[in-house]
Amino acid sequence: MTTPGKPAQEPAEEPAAGLTCPNCGQPVWPDDNFCEACSTELAPAVNSGDSSEPATRQCPNCGGSAITPEGYCESCGYKVPAANNHVELELDLVAGVTDKGLRHSRNEDAMALATTQSSAGPVALAVVCDGVSTSSHPDEASQAASQAAVQVLLAAVRGGADLGAASARAVKAAQKALADLASSAKLLANAPSATFVSAVVTGTQVTVCWLGDSRAYWVDADGPAASRQLTIDDSIAAELVARGLSEAEAMALPQAHVVTGWIGADAGDAEPHVTVFAPDGPGAVLLCSDGLWNYQPDVAGLAEMALPDAMDDPLRAAATLVKFAIEAGGSDNVTVVFIPFPPGTRTRLGDTSVIATTDLGDPR
Amino acid sequence: MSQTDFTVEIFQNEYLPSGGREVNAIVTVTAPDDLAAAGAAGGMSDSGGRAEAIIIDCSGSMDYPHAKIVQARAATQAALDVVRDGVAFAVIAGTEVARPVFPVDGSLAIASPQTRQAAKQVVANLRPGGGTAMGSWLRLARQMLTSGSAGLRHAILLTDGKNEHESPESLTAAISECDGVFSCDCRGVGTDWQVAELRRISTGLLGTVDIVADPSGLTADFEAMMATAMSKAVADVALRVWTPQTAEIEFVKQVAPTVDDLTGRRTQSGPQAGDYPTGAWSNGESRDYHVCVLVNSAAIGQEMLASRVSLVVGGQVHGQGLVRAVWTDDEALSTRINTNVAHYTGQAELAQAIQDGLEARKQGDEDIATAKLGRAVALAQESGNEDTAKLLAKVVDVVDAATGTVRLKKKVDDADEMALDTRSTKTVRTKK
Repeated sequence: MTTPGKPAQEPAEEPAAGLTCPNCGQPVWPDDNFCEACSTELAPAVNSGDSSEPATRQCPNCGGSAITPEGYCESCGYKVPAANNHVELELDLVAGVTDKGLRHSRNEDAMALATTQSSAGPVALAVVCDGVSTSSHPDEASQAASQAAVQVLLAAVRGGADLGAASARAVKAAQKALADLASSAKLLANAPSATFVSAVVTGTQVTVCWLGDSRAYWVDADGPAASRQLTIDDSIAAELVARGLSEAEAMALPQAHVVTGWIGADAGDAEPHVTVFAPDGPGAVLLCSDGLWNYQPDVAGLAEMALPDAMDDPLRAAATLVKFAIEAGGSDNVTVVFIPFPPGTRTRLGDTSVIATTDLGDPR
Repeated sequence: MSQTDFTVEIFQNEYLPSGGREVNAIVTVTAPDDLAAAGAAGGMSDSGGRAEAIIIDCSGSMDYPHAKIVQARAATQAALDVVRDGVAFAVIAGTEVARPVFPVDGSLAIASPQTRQAAKQVVANLRPGGGTAMGSWLRLARQMLTSGSAGLRHAILLTDGKNEHESPESLTAAISECDGVFSCDCRGVGTDWQVAELRRISTGLLGTVDIVADPSGLTADFEAMMATAMSKAVADVALRVWTPQTAEIEFVKQVAPTVDDLTGRRTQSGPQAGDYPTGAWSNGESRDYHVCVLVNSAAIGQEMLASRVSLVVGGQVHGQGLVRAVWTDDEALSTRINTNVAHYTGQAELAQAIQDGLEARKQGDEDIATAKLGRAVALAQESGNEDTAKLLAKVVDVVDAATGTVRLKKKVDDADEMALDTRSTKTVRTKK
């Protein structure tokens, strides 16, 4: 399918200066999704779990250089930090930060980000999953689920499909990824499971889909008062609030955090929730795991910290909120993604920066 | 699913509280279904074959009652029938000295219908007369078992009395000379022998110990022991435990099928690894070990490899299990006790309580004996160790098993007390 505005087979109009396919070297256009010469995907989704290797081959505790295949130091036994302990991802239109936090031994959150082009202009999309700690392999679960879902969303945007229906299909794909993980690892007794939240942001609307207690917020450029929460948690607390309890009362209960909806081989027929809205002005969509909102559930408080970076420098806004959650206690893994609205005009291609860093000097 | 190599499974609660140092894990080791086939690839073959020695006490007391020597001869003959063709074997008569009775030149015979028949005739003519010096018996067994090229070497030792004609030091020296050369199952017939003495030999030489109070039970027991020996397919298997620098091993114990503390039997096999002897294994055999390690504590959220457990056969490493430590401030995680660790901690305490209780009873300290044996009754009940509970009930009157309330019996049969003592280390496994 030819995208409007794209010069089709007209040698008079040169591709933007210097843009070439990283695989075959042929010229490409800024709004190409695939290289016309070799079919390489030009703007693939990126995932915080992409590198499963330990971040270093040297033990940060004792300096030993022999690291076992499982990532332990052969001298002092310390687990060498995994690459996904702290990951920052930035694409042109969307950015996110995920961190292990201070109290957990590994990062069981994952995020997948992508940008692409539709007939109506640039589109940014993101998926955040939070692996359920009591299930098997929660870190692999969140990574596999987010990756499967973002691929479905990316294909839907490129193909011009209905984004609400596509979001539900993305959840199904995430479910299947977890079922495959469960059967490959023979884990049906304690099926890998995770929460799910996705957002697709086009030039005119925002499509949010979720299952569990990872959240989406609208952060309005006009300030905290115009911002709002877009999701309602699938949790005991949210159900009690729906029945009339105050949020503070509900969250104080010991079972408040028990999720009542999730994705996974044992999730049964849990149906995802989809909401679509058309913002009437600029702002940004915030996706996060409960590692953030445990410390600040109120959208006004979040917006106050995130503005104005949320629109101009989403990576900085995400880093600000992750830092806030860690300084507030860091009791859980924390993941924050910002997608500015409307998505900017994509002028640079191949400017995908993926920054994976691990704070080796950090005592955590 | 058929297994082609040793498997090592770890059962533990890896979570430790802040400052926690003690890491406990139960390690289940299972041998492959076909050790010979697995061995071809991994150095587990015992091309030298196997050698068996049967050591029969021929001291004068074996004639009182006469049934002892009669049944000992019959049991030895029955065991010889279980020795497979081609296996090297020897029979030794033990008194204050050891004498090779078959073959008489002190070498090994090769089992065949003819050699078995010849050996059985010699055994039929064994006559009691003389003393008891078990160290000399072990030394002759060592000499005969190593006269061939067999890799799997095993002995059965039968006695009816105390080691009266040599010093305890001489026996100790003999045990250490034989350690690693052959394994030895020990049996005491009647009630005039000492449990502690035979246990010293059986634990030192990685074998079993038991009482056969009634001589008529010897034949079945000898047949079973020889059949087990014939099933062993690989010798000299060691449990290798790697630990982090600065970590200390608290203990390494076999906990199933019996409790056997291996801690003191460590041989350093690398800067951070030690090998513990486990003897010979049969195809598909499974045993449990309890490993307890003290590590340096680390920050909340840090994970550490607390030990790595594998098997070593013929210099090659087989299987691997990882014991982990993760520090957490979540008390719900760190206070959880792994059911396997709890179960075997209880079984080891049960064995110790019985041995302490019986010792106190011998010393005439009835209060301690009652407390210890009461505790043993409660532990046996709690863990479902019915065999041990039955043996305990012959030594104490149980008032309330759950609380361990007992009274010492006024009259206890010597055989019952010795059976409880020798079998105190037998454990039951958990349902996993």
